[in-house]
Amino acid sequence: MSPAHEVRLPLAFIPPGTEVRLAALGDEIDPLQREQLTAYGLASGRPIKVLQQRPMTVILADEVELALEHAVARHIWVEKSPVVA
Amino acid sequence: MTNSSSAANAILLVGHPNVGKSVLFHRLTGAYVNVSNYPGTTVEVTRASARFDREAMLLDTPGVLALPSRSDDERATMRALLNESSRCLVQVGDAKNLRRTLTLTALLAELGVPMVLALNMHDEAAARGVMVDIPALSEELGIPVLATVATGGEGIGELTHGLGHASRAEALLRYDPEIEADIERMADAITRLAPHPLLAARGLAILYLGGDSVVADWLAEHAGKQLAQLEALRQAASERADGDLPALLARERTEAADALASSVIQRAVRSSPLLSQRLGQYVVHPLWGVPILLGVLYAVYQFVGVFGASVLVGLMEKDLFEGILNPAFTDFINAMIGPGWLQEVLVGQYGLWTMGMTYALALILPIVTTFFFAFGVLEDSGYLPRLTVIANRLFALIGLNGRAVLPMVLGLGCVTMATLTTRILHSRRERLITIFLLALAIPCSAQLGVVLGMLGGVSFTAVIVWAIAMVGILLLAGFLAAKLIPGRRIPLVTELPPLRLPIIANVLKKTGGRLKWYLIEVIPLFLLGTFIMFALDKSGALPAIIDAGEPLVSGWLGLPKEASAAFVMGFLRRDFGATGLFSMAHSLSPIQAVVGMITITLFIPCFASLMMMVKEQGTKVALGMVAVIVPFAFLVGGLFNLLLRAVWS
Repeated sequence: MSPAHEVRLPLAFIPPGTEVRLAALGDEIDPLQREQLTAYGLASGRPIKVLQQRPMTVILADEVELALEHAVARHIWVEKSPVVA
Repeated sequence: MTNSSSAANAILLVGHPNVGKSVLFHRLTGAYVNVSNYPGTTVEVTRASARFDREAMLLDTPGVLALPSRSDDERATMRALLNESSRCLVQVGDAKNLRRTLTLTALLAELGVPMVLALNMHDEAAARGVMVDIPALSEELGIPVLATVATGGEGIGELTHGLGHASRAEALLRYDPEIEADIERMADAITRLAPHPLLAARGLAILYLGGDSVVADWLAEHAGKQLAQLEALRQAASERADGDLPALLARERTEAADALASSVIQRAVRSSPLLSQRLGQYVVHPLWGVPILLGVLYAVYQFVGVFGASVLVGLMEKDLFEGILNPAFTDFINAMIGPGWLQEVLVGQYGLWTMGMTYALALILPIVTTFFFAFGVLEDSGYLPRLTVIANRLFALIGLNGRAVLPMVLGLGCVTMATLTTRILHSRRERLITIFLLALAIPCSAQLGVVLGMLGGVSFTAVIVWAIAMVGILLLAGFLAAKLIPGRRIPLVTELPPLRLPIIANVLKKTGGRLKWYLIEVIPLFLLGTFIMFALDKSGALPAIIDAGEPLVSGWLGLPKEASAAFVMGFLRRDFGATGLFSMAHSLSPIQAVVGMITITLFIPCFASLMMMVKEQGTKVALGMVAVIVPFAFLVGGLFNLLLRAVWS
């Protein structure tokens, strides 16, 4: 588990090429869409690689590429700590 | 809706969207379904008898992102699970994303139906360095697990063999003890009050506690007055739960899937991304995405608009039909039955052969064939989901998200098909706006081919004027519709499947299937339309309509008055109307050609898609759309007539 003081950043702020770990899905995201994200495998602690940020946030999670609008990526909280295998 | 089969002979294909269920279905049955490389193409359950066992009925279900069901697709799949007499389930999973596959397995396993797991797209997993220890996974799950590559036909023999050994899967997890106690209480109650003939009560209990509305409806139907007991148990369980119960259940399944996946996956370290991944990123690149899109559109235009609509149509219409078939057929009819009304019905000016079949086969068929082929290549290449990313910002202007680009592009093939596909959109508001725009401003391939063929013959400028008018009207109408229709826009979240080199044999099969669907629909309507034209002409009604329409068609639109006939035909099929204008192309000026095409494109779509609109949105909404679209088409056409005459002469 990550230390409590670890800084959490919105996924939309992370530069392409960076690997991060998912911390939480914000409450601002529509509940149905939150379930959808969970079903895509975005659970807390999961490693995510940011591929690009424009025109949309594109991430690689578990060999699956997902494109997310910034309105959603803005409310996905991630931690920049190195991924522990 | 699904029908129950009499004996337990149904084999259900279940799995996530875009994992290859429909291709596998085709491999196992030889039957054709609309298959695309984007999620949500199977909007209804499709059934066909299996090649390997005549008794068995294979069912292809819409992809589920997760169960308990939340979306229309998931509900359709859940209904199939509840109502079909399943002999076994085939879970089709994406080999490179085992975690997600096993999260669904964790739920399906609880249903107590014999199952088999087909890990599809094994080649892509291998290319990404993902190795699944299949014997180990099979042992852990207690069911046959097979690696397949459905597009290439690999592993299909093993899969059919595996079906004979389908067995009930071992549970992947025990839930948290408190939740487990609630599940047991609920399962006991279901066993007493509403037992399912096939599915295990425990599985239903988990789904019901997880908030599945289809299971809730089924239980309500079968438990009758005792439903209150089940509801009370569910209420108590969610009050006891430390948080949202459906979310807790889902999280525990994810954890179990995660643990099992980690134990059977070996990941080779890859130094650089695959070529297909790099290409995939260029396609959605902020700088390169748009030029690539323009290049793709240009290639499609060359293939459909130039090769299909000019070269092939020229060969078919001028050389084959007008040169050989029509004179021969006319001579034959004249010799056999001589002049008279029957001769006119068959080979006259509005003859079933000389007009109906000639339009359908010589003008439309080459265009539709080339379009469906080009669309099939785009679908199988994985380009279309990336198009949603490129188009997202544009679609945000009209209150939609990029996902709506898929029905719109499909609408360029067939608006009827596309209207059905709007089910992939998540809200009623998005579906309503998209169906309206499809009906108004999206020309289907038959019509598009006619438009491109006709305006291409005029000048490239004419094509550009028409295209700008269409995009402008689409955006304007969409903008207004988004302002008028209440509701919120849903931001886009979409999966981008890998870019793949399409397998031409599969594209051809798909094109063939779509053409068959199209011809079965189009030829009777063309013949009916021709006959109505004949009847209107003979009864003297057509000249009357042409005269009555003159102020509108000639005065306002500036077209020759005979063009009224094309609009009458347009009521039956929009492309039929456009074809009517196409056949008088030589007598139209460039401005008349552009105005005619703009008006007929905006005009209501064909009868079949109107019926589909009624089916999807109800009679009231569909008629309301028609009441807006028809006057709007003439209004805009007339405005363009005035505008073009002022600036382009």
